[in-house]
Amino acid sequence: MGEVVVLAVSAVLLAGFYAAMAYGLGLIYGVLRIVNLAHGGIIMASAYVTWQLFDRFAVDPFAAIPVVLVLFFILGMGIYLGLVRFLPRGPAGAVQSLLLLFGVWLVIRNVVYLLFTGNEQVIHTAYATSSVRILGGSFSATRFAVFGVAVIALIALHLLLTRTYLGKAIRAVAQNPDSCTLAGINVERVYLLTFGLGTALAGLAGVLASTLFAINPSFGAGELLKSFVIIVLGGLGSILGIALGALVLAFAEVFAVYAVPPYLTTAVGFVLLVVVLVLRPGGLFGQRVLR
Amino acid sequence: MSRWRFLLVFAAAMVLLWIAPLVLPLGDYTHDVVGLTFMFMAAALAWNWLGGYVGQISFGHAAMFGVGGFVAARLMLSSGLPFVVAWLAGGLVAGVFGLLWGHPTLRLRGPYFSIATIGVGEATRLVATYWSDFTGGSSGLSLPLAGNPTKYQLYWYGLYLLGAAVLISYGLRRSRIGLGLAAIKEDVDAAGDVGVNPTLYQDLVLFLSGTMVGICGGFYASYQAFIDPQDMFSFDRSIGLILMAVIGGIGTVLGPVWGAVVFVIIQEFLLATYSELYLGLYGALLILIILFEPLGLTGLVQRVHRLLLRRPATAASSGAPLTADRRPT
Repeated sequence: MGEVVVLAVSAVLLAGFYAAMAYGLGLIYGVLRIVNLAHGGIIMASAYVTWQLFDRFAVDPFAAIPVVLVLFFILGMGIYLGLVRFLPRGPAGAVQSLLLLFGVWLVIRNVVYLLFTGNEQVIHTAYATSSVRILGGSFSATRFAVFGVAVIALIALHLLLTRTYLGKAIRAVAQNPDSCTLAGINVERVYLLTFGLGTALAGLAGVLASTLFAINPSFGAGELLKSFVIIVLGGLGSILGIALGALVLAFAEVFAVYAVPPYLTTAVGFVLLVVVLVLRPGGLFGQRVLR
Repeated sequence: MSRWRFLLVFAAAMVLLWIAPLVLPLGDYTHDVVGLTFMFMAAALAWNWLGGYVGQISFGHAAMFGVGGFVAARLMLSSGLPFVVAWLAGGLVAGVFGLLWGHPTLRLRGPYFSIATIGVGEATRLVATYWSDFTGGSSGLSLPLAGNPTKYQLYWYGLYLLGAAVLISYGLRRSRIGLGLAAIKEDVDAAGDVGVNPTLYQDLVLFLSGTMVGICGGFYASYQAFIDPQDMFSFDRSIGLILMAVIGGIGTVLGPVWGAVVFVIIQEFLLATYSELYLGLYGALLILIILFEPLGLTGLVQRVHRLLLRRPATAASSGAPLTADRRPT
């Protein structure tokens, strides 16, 4: 019984990170109808930025968050202005956006590889080994910090989307861009800011990932897949949906240790994805999946 | 191009390529690389049946390539089957494997399907790497010397593979099935309404595509005489197929053939010296092509052709995809 509780706590902590990670992908997809295939690459790049800040300037990863957010917000707007803006909308654009952003991912990987080689990098903070004992298990303090940051970020996002003009504009454009134009919303600008915001969120996920995992240039493929699984599971309707999707995935992965060998945990997300898409195309919780 | 003209050109090209190494003083290296290029062409064409004709971008075709290669290698090691039979068997297993994951996932459209294929590719690679009883794990498998063709002989087998792939590419596009696929690409629900069964058509194309890529995997195993899962199932292999199709012209009948030529040239000559740049180069190529010429080389040739003849474009001009990939925004 004790072991199950420990695994459950572990899954909840993991789910916090997953939710933060998935939200950037979901936001961009919900508004622009584009799957940002560079999502994993951006997470990886931001993990490297965090590592560099720590390694060269001794900036604590959690203190680096504001810098990374601004940096990746600008990067995201750059990607939109330089590339994504020129894609046609509609089904033809969907295939092209996949390939284009995939190209961006490859370029990011190569740049990181050239700058920092393919070696694994780890951030060793002073508190990396300190742990918290709770419910009969011992957990790294970093994981609690990551969970806390993720929850704060999700709440901040929720407030942004529901309480501000920009947030309302973003949600309106997600529902119907044409009507938004009629209502005087600058749709193109909402697209730009959304892409920036989604990229900044991926950047945040990268900071969090850098404190949890060893990173290398090919890091991010699994994160992209998991993010996608979560937005499919939870639907794009709300923070709650994303959080539930993240919880389901995290629990499935953590408890899969009972059923499959550890190297197959990556495959758990995929199996879950296929099963859900086939059985419940509308998402686990009956919410509308924006397509 | 009319059917007879196509078949005539096809037969002439096959004959010329068949006798080329006998009369031309090709070096060993060139001869081998051309043979391997034939295989890449066939695989890229096979990817294009699904990615181009139907518009379902697969990032996981390395899975079928690897399955085909390893099944063929295992058969040759254990039963001493003739290599062609082993390749075909490997291809069939790969095709069936494609159906296994494809049947549920092909109902998904666009990004849903594509992301699922990333998962398929990764999961297959992991299983293959750890299933060392079958794949030899990280130390791989060496093929028996006896019964395995030499690289010199493989030139002609590569040519046969390419010939089969070209015929299927042309046949698929010109047939009723091709029209059905184009309808599915354009609007899957509308296609269903006019009596095209999207599940059946897409399953069929994935099976064909997976079988062909699996046979190519078997060819590759024979060519290298040694295979290991990290290489056969690598994500880069799936990327390679996408690039060949995109460079040549995604959705066109013969574009991937020219794309494979460019790809091999880049790989053999540019990347031999700048190997650390290959991902970035591929990425930059993808970005540039999608932004400036979504139909790749085929689009470029058509553009030049139009400029020379000062003739407005027609959708029916040879090789162009049945669906307009670029619409006014």
